[in-house]
Amino acid sequence: MFDRLWCPIEVRFVIDRWDLSTRLQETSLDPFVLQPGRPVELSGPPGYGLTRLGYRMLAGPSLRAPVVVVDVRGWASPQAAWETGVDPDRLVIVRCPDAGVWAKVMAALCEGVKAIYAEVPAGVREQDLRRLGALVRARQVGIGLRPVEGGLPAGIAHLRLRPLEVHWSGNDRGHGSLGSRTLVMEASGRGVAGLTRRIEVEDDGANIVRVVPGLVAGQPEHAAG
Amino acid sequence: MLFPDWSLGNRSTPPAEAVLVVAADGRIAAVSPAARTQGAEPGMPRREAEMLCPGAVVLERDLAEEWQRFELVVSTIEEIIPRVEVVEPGMALVPLSGATRYYGGEEPVVEIVAAKLDLFQPRIGVADGPFAATWAARTATPGTPMVVSDTRRFLNDLDISSLMGESPDAESMVATFRWLGVTTLGSLAGLPREALASRFGAPGLIMHRLAHGEDRMLDPRPIPPETAVELRFEEPLETLDQAGFAARAAAATLMTRLGKEGIAPHRMTIEIESAGGESRLRVWRSLDPFTEGALADRVWWQLRAWLESGQIRGGVIRLKLDPADLSGGGRQMAFFEDTSARIEAERALARAQTLLDPAAVVQAAPRGGRMPSERIRWFRWGEDTPPPDSSAPWPGSTPAPAPSLVPPEPRPLEVEWDEGLPVRVRLGSRWEPILTWSGPWRLSRKWWMGEQAVDRYQIVTSAGAFLCVVDGGQAFLAGIYD
Repeated sequence: MFDRLWCPIEVRFVIDRWDLSTRLQETSLDPFVLQPGRPVELSGPPGYGLTRLGYRMLAGPSLRAPVVVVDVRGWASPQAAWETGVDPDRLVIVRCPDAGVWAKVMAALCEGVKAIYAEVPAGVREQDLRRLGALVRARQVGIGLRPVEGGLPAGIAHLRLRPLEVHWSGNDRGHGSLGSRTLVMEASGRGVAGLTRRIEVEDDGANIVRVVPGLVAGQPEHAAG
Repeated sequence: MLFPDWSLGNRSTPPAEAVLVVAADGRIAAVSPAARTQGAEPGMPRREAEMLCPGAVVLERDLAEEWQRFELVVSTIEEIIPRVEVVEPGMALVPLSGATRYYGGEEPVVEIVAAKLDLFQPRIGVADGPFAATWAARTATPGTPMVVSDTRRFLNDLDISSLMGESPDAESMVATFRWLGVTTLGSLAGLPREALASRFGAPGLIMHRLAHGEDRMLDPRPIPPETAVELRFEEPLETLDQAGFAARAAAATLMTRLGKEGIAPHRMTIEIESAGGESRLRVWRSLDPFTEGALADRVWWQLRAWLESGQIRGGVIRLKLDPADLSGGGRQMAFFEDTSARIEAERALARAQTLLDPAAVVQAAPRGGRMPSERIRWFRWGEDTPPPDSSAPWPGSTPAPAPSLVPPEPRPLEVEWDEGLPVRVRLGSRWEPILTWSGPWRLSRKWWMGEQAVDRYQIVTSAGAFLCVVDGGQAFLAGIYD
């Protein structure tokens, strides 16, 4: 049992079917740890578990400094963020439903906050998103972007995560309650060396989000031979 | 000088109406006489007070509004004695040494002040030091000031619980004192100081000093001459928005400057000059060192009070913040905390507040409740963190994991039922088959207030899981397990 203070998050990321050099490269590419200056895009409809992944990305940085959730819809629940390990004292929620001022607020936050999970409202101009991407890289901010509708323009996100399917266990026709969740996602972008890969993530509900060992596989994108 | 139940304000409620004013920490800040007769007391948890006064009107405490009203009191005192120290709206400390010489004694000064403030029914206490004076004011009655000639003797008879709030761990120390048979300040003062220091450390020393009539030490450091921050405005500040921005900017500059020295102020002098040539000065005092957010709030309240009272002709052209009683007490960090990152983040959040609205930047604390939306207590970023909720375990609450998205109010949801079992749910424009579900979990709400029981379901579709509430035959979306 780990002491929460010293090791609040257990993350394992094991790649099968890849050579050793790829494994070493991949261990530094844990998609659920925000990396400075490398935006992660989480695009997909609500219900698949992307919000929880976004909260989970803030857990580590919240040990050191305030972290921010930019809430466009006014639906963000800090209780779920606390469950993933975010320090309640350092979680700040900025409610910004107005697409017109969203980019300015994000720019202000990027000047000082080191880790942000932000919903992107519909109607933000592409040029503002690109400027924001440049600012994130310049200020070395760790950021997860969750478009409320559609996706981000190409070239902004370093890593793009898109859910494919989700399975819940724990309840059965009236009995039990929601327990663990298995989420199959597609990862693409420079964060995975320009390839498209499938990742299967198991979320054990009240505690942490983890990548299940041995269930990650590369997906061929081109016909062999 | 104490103005009990200042939070009640000038509400024109009938005297028979019970009114409770609730602070941000969920405790009662003030009660009306009618509520007091029913057993409610300031400091009591809200739930307990509502139980004692079931029909009471419950109001949220508005510190900015309270300060605005208190400004009139402070201005009145300053017409007689300069340099009033404000602890909070409803409580002010006034140093009497200079005024005593001018007016020829303590009693004449107190009589003049009491006569001037007769309308506000203050409780006035005079003693050596803020701690004793505060308790003298608490034991005084409106209209009859309590002038303590022998502070040590006055303190001797006070119950040991009067030390509550004087140190972060005062509650457990007071319990230990009682367990040891030390029930009054007099008996505490009779103990050897070395023994208390050995048993309780620095907090024990503070308690012993207070019991002796020697006031709380602030561990003062020398004030570097450049710590004061002065902002001059070419365009006078006339609107509240401008004042709010200036308050945050001045507080950020000052706290950054002090942060580099590793110090934080316990006392702050706010001084302004108007385009019409008037100057105003106010001293704020805090037991705990000011944080940037707390300081910005006080500067903002003060500017708002001055601007809205019409005392500033032509707007503010100069704002000066002058810190005093500097100590290292406010710089305690957590083990992993990165101070520079915290300061930068606070500055960025303050800028976000000015772009949006102060109420749009929030934090949350856990509290008891059965529905996800009930289990969160929101408060504005920069305000004091509410104490952790130590309430009961809430049997029947919705089990973990918590939904990641919770609508502020439940949204109507179309669910198709077959013989009482959920079959399909409408998500946007399409119907999704329900793969499985949990529930119904019956939730009996305030039936004595006419609220009906509701049923909760966790429903699972291929597009995700949802928390659904069925109230009176209509289904509502209460959360998304996103």
